[in-house]
Amino acid sequence: MNKPRIKGNTIVVPSDPQFLSDVDMFVEGILRGWNTEESTIADIAISVSELVNNAITHGNQAIVDRTVTVVVEQVETQVAITVSDEGMGFDPRSIADPVSDENLLKDVGRGFFIVQSLMDKVEVDATDAGTTVKIFKNAN
Amino acid sequence: MKLTDREEGGVVVLEPKGKIMGGPDATLLHDKLYECIQEGKKQVVIDLAGVDWMNSTGLGILIQGFTTLRNSEGKLKLARVPEKIRSLLKITKLVSVFEAHETVEEAVESF
Repeated sequence: MNKPRIKGNTIVVPSDPQFLSDVDMFVEGILRGWNTEESTIADIAISVSELVNNAITHGNQAIVDRTVTVVVEQVETQVAITVSDEGMGFDPRSIADPVSDENLLKDVGRGFFIVQSLMDKVEVDATDAGTTVKIFKNAN
Repeated sequence: MKLTDREEGGVVVLEPKGKIMGGPDATLLHDKLYECIQEGKKQVVIDLAGVDWMNSTGLGILIQGFTTLRNSEGKLKLARVPEKIRSLLKITKLVSVFEAHETVEEAVESF
């Protein structure tokens, strides 16, 4: 697989950061179709980009044949987005506190912290078959 | 993301536009910052008015630029930071690291 695959509200991309913009366009397009507020779209788009970056880099170890799957859903009044990889079960909660004094000037390690700050709820399921993160945000 | 640059009174002003999320586009800003440092241009303002949003990759590039310039006795300052990015800087406590100005002119004159 060397290009994104779209079916309904699901996009599957190879583990290559060049496809981040494809995921972003796909997700933002669906959210605009649901008349989601622009500020909420931005918060969700930032969070999805963090999770896809993590899935590519840490989950799938940037092995391009491994894919990242993103599913966009509406759950009652919330937007729910699931990001899954095919790695060995990287748990993003294991990252050191990025706002502690000793980590403040590090150039990496803030992604999941930002997701937790911007989203209303975050669920993580890390297993040997990969990691799935599901985020929830009130639509408006 | 697109990136333009210019000089004002010996200060380099970088203007990224769009989204900074990682991938090939993000390296534009990273590479430009290092080019400035290599050319001895150590006073840099990044005008963020045209940036829709950035994620932690974008923040990481700003931090790399900030620390590298500081280690070279230079300085990186921000101007016209949009609310969405200002909010991220607060969340990550990086608001205490970066000097931010309301206008580019103010940022340039502050060197």
